[in-house]
Amino acid sequence: MFLGQQIAPSTGEVSRRRYARERKAREEAESLLEAKSRELFESNQRLQRLLGSLETAVKERTKELEEARSAAEAANEAKSIFLASISHEIRTPLNGILGMAQALEDSGLLREQRKLVELLRDSGNLLLSLINDVLDLSKIEAGKLDFEYIPYALTDLVESMQQQFGFRAREKGLDFEVHFSDRAKSVVRTDPVRLQQVVGNLLSNAIKFTTSGCVRLKVDLLPRSDGRARVVLTVSDTGPGIPKEQQAHLFQRFSQANSSITRQHGGTGLGLAISRQICELQGGTVTLRSDVGQGAAFAASLTVDVLADKDTTLQADAVGTTQPSLKGLKVLAAEDNKTNQIVLRHMLKKFDLSLTIVSDGAEAVQEWEKGEFDLILMDINMPGMDGIEATRQIRQCEYRNMSDPIPILAVSANAMVHQVAGYMSEGMSGHVPKPISRDTLATAMQSALRTRGVLP
Amino acid sequence: MKGVVFVELVRMAESVMGEDAVDEILDSADLESDGAFSSVGNYPCSELLTLVDAIGERLNAPVEALHEKFGNWMFGRFVEGYPIFFEGKTDGFGMLESIENEVHVEVRKLYPDVELPTFATERIGTDTLKMVYSSERPLHHFCRGMVESCMAHFEQEFTLQMTERPDDTRFCAEFLITKAA
Repeated sequence: MFLGQQIAPSTGEVSRRRYARERKAREEAESLLEAKSRELFESNQRLQRLLGSLETAVKERTKELEEARSAAEAANEAKSIFLASISHEIRTPLNGILGMAQALEDSGLLREQRKLVELLRDSGNLLLSLINDVLDLSKIEAGKLDFEYIPYALTDLVESMQQQFGFRAREKGLDFEVHFSDRAKSVVRTDPVRLQQVVGNLLSNAIKFTTSGCVRLKVDLLPRSDGRARVVLTVSDTGPGIPKEQQAHLFQRFSQANSSITRQHGGTGLGLAISRQICELQGGTVTLRSDVGQGAAFAASLTVDVLADKDTTLQADAVGTTQPSLKGLKVLAAEDNKTNQIVLRHMLKKFDLSLTIVSDGAEAVQEWEKGEFDLILMDINMPGMDGIEATRQIRQCEYRNMSDPIPILAVSANAMVHQVAGYMSEGMSGHVPKPISRDTLATAMQSALRTRGVLP
Repeated sequence: MKGVVFVELVRMAESVMGEDAVDEILDSADLESDGAFSSVGNYPCSELLTLVDAIGERLNAPVEALHEKFGNWMFGRFVEGYPIFFEGKTDGFGMLESIENEVHVEVRKLYPDVELPTFATERIGTDTLKMVYSSERPLHHFCRGMVESCMAHFEQEFTLQMTERPDDTRFCAEFLITKAA
């Protein structure tokens, strides 16, 4: 066979020709490899340069983005601070106006005068609700609308709505009907303030636009397959109805069905937009069924957790509805604004308690040290020592002396949720928003004292 | 054509007929390269064919058979030098199928201008693989040697049928490889 046995390589000297051939092959290989190596080196250099310029570009771009982001954040922060401070600045004089109106009402007025004061109070309340609407809208836009979920009986919602709107409806000669389904007699976990805001807005609209007939509130609770439930609150009226082509605009901000409505009825056109957003943030929405001459039916829905039947909370309700007297209490109030001092004095006059007013935080601490007080009402923004610092000092002192903490209520126009949370973490027992309403103040005082054990 | 093929041909010839005989062939053949092959160089395919012809003449052996033997030899070198291509391969069919989409892909990364033959494969039933070789070079016998060594490498008994199907521009051949029961 031609390829059978392999022959061992020869061991002797190689021929000149073989040597020349091998050398030529080696030289060729060397020059090829050298060229290859130079090519590799150069392309490596190019890559290094490219890498360098890419890194620089990435760094520059990152820096630009970083700057743009912090600029945007700063602008947003500035807007939030602006809104919070404007809200505070407007609420403070409003506190004076509303408080004085209340004081005037209590001062034994003639019928005519009482009417004038009522107008004054209504205008003040309208201004307050406008400020609240604008604040709510800015919170929604900033994604900072916080919900405070607590157990709440839907019957309480109906009760509160009846109190607020029943009279207004009857005043206009309208019937105010409530349909409450058996299923809705439950305690749910929800944000009562926001729920009341939505239903209140729908009822207020219905009463505003209806001249005869009735306004109806229907409450229903529909169980869902995932164990949660859907609250459906329908407000219907026998008003003029809303033409189909105008319905789409209704839920847009600053938009009403048509501009003549603004002239006739006033309002900012924010209510429905805010109501719908509030519902949507809680897994529901607000829908409308209406046509010209057919009245209107707005249905607000949102998702809640059902806690129990109404019966189980009757006890809690019973506790909640007892109104312990504030008579004889010794209250210290720190408030720098003279008008607000007068407001406070008038508000608390009815309760027959002893009120000492000081005008800054340092004085509040000094007065408190005398140890004669049952409760402190603390303004936040005061010259010199502010309310937060005063509270901090009082709490430290109590801690050192191992004495029981005195209830301290923050009384402030800074009513945004994160601000209130801040007061609580500084040791305050509760918060009463300005403009102060007498009922809110009294309830907050009672609950703070009850927690302390001062009241039963 | 890559220099490594020439270097291996010379090495195979030397192992069979000795250096002196190979020197004589290289000296007498009409080669542009003077037979000075380096594995990193490139040389015309015609020189390979000339050399195989000369070796065949010298050994009085059929040229086709010599191409096949060279295919066997090259496959051995392949197994030695590139074990990575054999990882995960369990039989000869799998290996042959991977030439087009694995081996040649890697070759192209190293040598972007390389001219490679194509190996289209197709399974016919479970035991037969059809493979169609297509190239600018008439190296189908060399290819047959590689295929045979590949099947043997996986210790698979088989039969191989090669049919030449040249067209106007390329050299083509169809291999039908069937595993023995």
